[in-house]
Amino acid sequence: MNDRNLVRGLFLAALALAFGLGSLRYPIGTLSRAGPGLFPLLVSCLLFLIAVATIVRSRFVERLPLQFNLKNIALVLLALCGFSLVSRFVNMMAGIAFMVFVGTLAGTSYSWTRNLKISAGLIAVAFGFQKLLGLNLPLY
Amino acid sequence: MDVLHNLAFGFEHALTWQNLMFCAIGCTVGTLVGLLPGLGPLATISLLLPLTYSIPTGGALIMLAGIYYGAQYGDSVSAITMKIPHASSIVACIDGYQMTLKGKTGLALFTAGVSSFIGGSVAIIVLSWLAPSLGEVAFLFGPADYCALMLVGFVCVSFVTTGSLLNGLAMCLIGVLLGQIGTDVNSGTPRFTFDLAFLAEGVGLVSVALGCFGIAEITKNLDAREERTPFTGKIHLMPTWAEFKRIIPSALRGSAIGSFLGILPGGGPVIAQFAAYAVDKKFSKYKHEIGSGAIEGVAGQAAADEAAARTSFIPLMSIGIPENAVMALMMAAFIIKGIQPGPNMIKEHGDLFWGLVASMWVGNCFLLLLNVPLVRYWLSVFKIPYNVLFPSILFFCCIGTYSVNNNLDDIFVTAGFGLAGYVFMRLDMDPAPLMLGFILGPMLEENFRRAMLLSRGQFSAFVSRPISGTLLGLIALFVLWQLAVFLVQSRAKAAPVGDSQAKYT
Repeated sequence: MNDRNLVRGLFLAALALAFGLGSLRYPIGTLSRAGPGLFPLLVSCLLFLIAVATIVRSRFVERLPLQFNLKNIALVLLALCGFSLVSRFVNMMAGIAFMVFVGTLAGTSYSWTRNLKISAGLIAVAFGFQKLLGLNLPLY
Repeated sequence: MDVLHNLAFGFEHALTWQNLMFCAIGCTVGTLVGLLPGLGPLATISLLLPLTYSIPTGGALIMLAGIYYGAQYGDSVSAITMKIPHASSIVACIDGYQMTLKGKTGLALFTAGVSSFIGGSVAIIVLSWLAPSLGEVAFLFGPADYCALMLVGFVCVSFVTTGSLLNGLAMCLIGVLLGQIGTDVNSGTPRFTFDLAFLAEGVGLVSVALGCFGIAEITKNLDAREERTPFTGKIHLMPTWAEFKRIIPSALRGSAIGSFLGILPGGGPVIAQFAAYAVDKKFSKYKHEIGSGAIEGVAGQAAADEAAARTSFIPLMSIGIPENAVMALMMAAFIIKGIQPGPNMIKEHGDLFWGLVASMWVGNCFLLLLNVPLVRYWLSVFKIPYNVLFPSILFFCCIGTYSVNNNLDDIFVTAGFGLAGYVFMRLDMDPAPLMLGFILGPMLEENFRRAMLLSRGQFSAFVSRPISGTLLGLIALFVLWQLAVFLVQSRAKAAPVGDSQAKYT
């Protein structure tokens, strides 16, 4: 299963099926009077054909290993979602600090003092956006 | 003479203090994002889209265009000094970096700056002559022709950006499908919204762009765990007269090639650079030196790069069809401002069109100033460690996403697309065609439905009309050619195995 080309084909097929089967729930109509489901169905069919071609092709070309490093992407996504949640329930200043302290865990080195400085700098930029550009940021 | 008159009219608009300021901001930000890893022009333009709501239309478009062509300049600086291209200056790495190794960094940067200036200037002349006349042709286009033209764009972008037609087309189609999420404009039916209120208006463009480009790029850099060593060498900028004379012919050749390739669907800076480099290698007086740090190796490609970046505005502004992903975003910016790019734009919003064209030349002067005498100050940007840079980029992604609708939920959508972008990257799927598909998807559907309505459900309408018939014929030829290449390659690979088997039996 550790074959990038094959996984790509399967991934495309899954997407095509998800959108294609989903579009069947809407009226298809006729070609001359298309319903909302017709166009997504056509596009999904095309995508499915490409997926099949990709899967077939993966049998003929050299296998390439698939590499995932889940730690970094998970930390970055956690930082983003945390920013949103903390900004909603506390305020955006705390959200920025949370994002910096969690996000930098993915970096090559970690330093509390450096993170404090980055947070302070970014909060200052956010205040600049709020006061100078008139962005509606719930900073406090 | 009309063109000169119109250009003078454009300069009246571009040379107001306000527009000069927006142009300067655009060029500076563009150069900065070109230099820095993690934010290309695509992510930056989408990041700044929400900020342009409060800026007057002309200024906003001038600024966004400045970011695009400014990023091409900045990118070549990082390619020459450190062999790190972020957006498109792949070719500048070859001879540009060789010149750095020889201690001629200053000369390489000067060559790139001046050649880009020449390329940009030539392209602006082409743009101001060609865009209005091409606009007349666009009036001949019917819905079926627009569909065919968009499909040609998909095929060309897919092939040029990813090198693999299958992968690129798949990404285009995923983009089209993502564009289907939201309410169908014809029937009012919500599609693929899972009854979520925030999906009723569709997925946000900014979320898709920042997720697939900004966040995926950050994670890619983090995964690579490379510590960059900043450039510390000396820079001597001024060339001798003999060196300067070598720049001009190559830059002019590059400008012509870039201007032409920029107009074609799927064209743009990358393909123009390669073509200009190849032509220089064949026809230049110093062709034997190219590859080992020759002035021509830098000049031609830099001019082509910049020229193509400007002429790629032509299809967008005259026909209304963007030919690459950045232009698709520019189209979104036009539409946000209530302007539909296309044949009517030049007539109805002449001040905007000519103002933008004139501002490109003003921007050219700014960039020459920023990138030649001030280049040594820009190089200090590289001293910022990535551990400081990436939280800042994340911050800008969050603020950019939030300020579109002042909605914190949108950040979850961006995070979702960040994950999708990461999966795409790991599966070796380039998100640029996805962006084009996403923005053109609704337009493709509208034109497809209209064409089908007019032809009473007959697909023959696509073949019988001369314009769409020719364009679809070109696509068919291209697909057949790709299929033939694949078959020949796989047979060539299989043949040696067969031979060796024959030997043993």
